[in-house]
Amino acid sequence: MTVYGVWVINKAGGLIFQRNYGGIKPLTPRSGLLCFLTSVRSLSAHCNEPVTTISDGIAQLSANEYLVMAGTLHGVHAITSRIAPVAKSSGVQIIESESFKMTIHMTLTGIKFVLISSTDMSNAESVLQKVYEAYADAVMKNPFYTLEMPINATGFDARMNAIVAASGT
Amino acid sequence: MFGGSSSGAAGSNPASSSSRFSIPAITSSSLSTGNTTSVPSPTAQGSKRQSSYLSSQLNNLALGGGAGAAAITPPLTSIVDRPVNRMRGAEVGMGAWAFLYSAIVAHSQSRVESIVDLEKRLASLGREAGQRIIALQLLRNAQTANLKDPKREHRLIPILQYIHTQIYRYCFGKAADGLEKSVDGDDEYMLTSNQPPLTQHISLPRDLSQLSCEAFTAGLVEGVLDGLEVPARVTAHTVPTDQYPNRTVILIKLDQVVMDREAGLGK
Repeated sequence: MTVYGVWVINKAGGLIFQRNYGGIKPLTPRSGLLCFLTSVRSLSAHCNEPVTTISDGIAQLSANEYLVMAGTLHGVHAITSRIAPVAKSSGVQIIESESFKMTIHMTLTGIKFVLISSTDMSNAESVLQKVYEAYADAVMKNPFYTLEMPINATGFDARMNAIVAASGT
Repeated sequence: MFGGSSSGAAGSNPASSSSRFSIPAITSSSLSTGNTTSVPSPTAQGSKRQSSYLSSQLNNLALGGGAGAAAITPPLTSIVDRPVNRMRGAEVGMGAWAFLYSAIVAHSQSRVESIVDLEKRLASLGREAGQRIIALQLLRNAQTANLKDPKREHRLIPILQYIHTQIYRYCFGKAADGLEKSVDGDDEYMLTSNQPPLTQHISLPRDLSQLSCEAFTAGLVEGVLDGLEVPARVTAHTVPTDQYPNRTVILIKLDQVVMDREAGLGK
């Protein structure tokens, strides 16, 4: 029941929000220096800097890599909704691997919320619903936000942290 | 309560004038009940409206087919048709307010040069609201007291307490979290809100960190004070604490006229 990360993808396939959240420790033993680096990283609030290092949960990649992956996911989502044997398919909703799963929730307005979590995450849908709620409150009701642009609202970050903290219990 | 669709339907109907005439009778009757008794429950009000509407429809049917067709349009309920004393069920949704205020801030922002100008614009809007709010509140107070012995605060401290509790509760659903006298001077008072509801969803970008969108509330308080003959300069300041990142202090700097009058009135 761990949330590793959350993405928000706008209707054009651009990544407008990406955060990694500290989860379980990697099983591989780590050197002292790396542990030190990790603890420093978890102290600093900026997890989306384009630095390649290891966070507690999943690997921290560069901003460009995240953009490419979000664009790819957007394409995959479009393909899955088109090849479905029924009309108006919602597209892919869960991608599951051995070590993690990705839950995708697309709103009526075409915004995709992606939750990357451990495989035993049973309440992923409801967590995404809460993320959507936080987005509607802290982003859409904020006069300083421009539609389709990256989200920099401190209020949204605070709401996200609360949601992620509450989701594990 | 607002009935946007119903009023729209009535507007589109060419024969809406007859239904318009039926409304003053309904509102005046509900107004008089509002005066003598306590505020009627929304359902009772609704059924009353419904029944009188039905009776007018029956009358129209008896008079003739043409008028009967016109009575099918639902009654218009514009803001002036509603009873002035009924507050329950007339609240504005927080979501609607948040979107409206967001649009107001974004609109104002594109028309100003500086943060100070933007705060001035928001404060002037708040002042307009405050002047209307105090007028409405005084009227309501007088009417609930059956127009006998209408009371209005005239001393400074009761006025400030009235704003702290009554006005804040009317505007924001709860009283302010604190009313303090400033240590800097006798003419300065502070109203504190830990989580101001009007601007709860607004996150300031880094280049506008000096801005306080609660300038609207400051203007509102200034308007209310102005309506009570207490000229003052009111400003809003964000004073965050760890627990309340949006904690806002409304600083009231009273005019010298007020201080002189208070001194003249004595204890």
